[in-house]
Amino acid sequence: MTTARQAGLIACHFCHTLSKLPEGMEAKTQHELTLGKAIMHCPCCQSSLHSRIPHSLSRTWALLLAALILYFPANALPIMTVIYWGEGQPDTILGGVVHLFAEGMWPLALLIFIASVFIPILKLIALFSLLISVHLKMQWRPKDRTVLYRITEFVGRWSMVDIFVIALLVALVQFGNTASVLPNLGALSFAAVVILTMLAAHSFDPRLIWDAIDDENSIRNDESL
Amino acid sequence: MNSNNLNHIASIPPISRLACPDCDLIQTIPPLADNEVAHCIRCGTTLFKQQKNSINRSLAFAITGLILFIISNLFPLLSLKAVGLTQESSLLSTAFALFDVNQLLLGIVILLTTFIFPATTLLGTIYILMQIKMNRINCYTAPLFRFLRSTDAWGMLEIFLLAILVAVVKLGDVADMIYGVSLYAFCLLILSLSLLSYSLNPQDVWNKLRDSNGCSG
Ligand SMILES: [Zn+2]
Ligand SMILES: [Zn+2]
Repeated sequence: MTTARQAGLIACHFCHTLSKLPEGMEAKTQHELTLGKAIMHCPCCQSSLHSRIPHSLSRTWALLLAALILYFPANALPIMTVIYWGEGQPDTILGGVVHLFAEGMWPLALLIFIASVFIPILKLIALFSLLISVHLKMQWRPKDRTVLYRITEFVGRWSMVDIFVIALLVALVQFGNTASVLPNLGALSFAAVVILTMLAAHSFDPRLIWDAIDDENSIRNDESL
Repeated sequence: MNSNNLNHIASIPPISRLACPDCDLIQTIPPLADNEVAHCIRCGTTLFKQQKNSINRSLAFAITGLILFIISNLFPLLSLKAVGLTQESSLLSTAFALFDVNQLLLGIVILLTTFIFPATTLLGTIYILMQIKMNRINCYTAPLFRFLRSTDAWGMLEIFLLAILVAVVKLGDVADMIYGVSLYAFCLLILSLSLLSYSLNPQDVWNKLRDSNGCSG
């Protein structure tokens, strides 16, 4: 069981081509390569090579905290205003779900609840716990944490469904004072939350989860020698 | 930036040996039978899919997708009838409707995710697969494929289809909804896009790009 890092190799993030590190250079930490001035390029796809995504943790933290801050206006502010016979009624995300439920459209209410409330919260919690587990060099269930990361990365985009619904309603319901739909600031904040959490998930490097386990193992091997 | 560094890099040719993208473990992929999938022994990530004719099938789905994408944009997706007026909406007009109500940023997000990224994915995929088939890989093929892979998650047409369904149900009781020609094309587009992402095997494409050495100069 050797990792590319232990073997002195770097795998390209995109095309997975393995490259050998120059003599005397070691890919010990995620920063070492970028700090060591020489930027290497992948022989296959020309992308710059890093053993781990550079500054993965600080970037993920920054994006995640920005998403968390915007999460509050996204839920507190109305996402759209439905104008019906001249009277406007602003709706928040949760308000919209409650409305749908009250009108008996509960499958729809459930769908919007999962996409707009459940998934964003789940994503924020999952990414926060992944970050903390990497900081604490936790040994606990690395495989399950990798799966959690993959799920987080996969489902995040689907939260955009509410934004698309608002856009469609705005485009379709344009009958002046009789009936029209206007987007509000909450929609923009919510879109920002979805995009920021997607970027946060992209900048997190799941190999950091395994580095803690590999480091622990190599220390144990050194002691037993 | 030191391109001389390339000389120091001894790339390891047989791709059967690779590092897991999720846990960095180096492992050798055994020869696989058709439709067999190799998973990482440590974290379970899919490492390689063996598929016969993957390039040809992907090219067919991508071209079908491009035609359906053009049709989807030519005609309205949905129309709404109320108080004697008819309001039509298409892919592009949804984004432009947001520009009209001064939601510039939101409009840009919609434009990128429902038009620009899907269009570049389709055109770029066709271009790259054609180059591979005709053996005319050049310096820009691999960086272009890299760009397509990194923007893949931002094309959100399948999510837009779900949003159309939600909008139809929401407006169903209130007003008369007319389904446009494009809606059928759009549903088929989503189908061919999912078939494309199923049949396209990025590792296979990378192997071909690596072997061709189109950019040795
Ligand atoms: Zn590469
Ligand atoms: Zn793995």
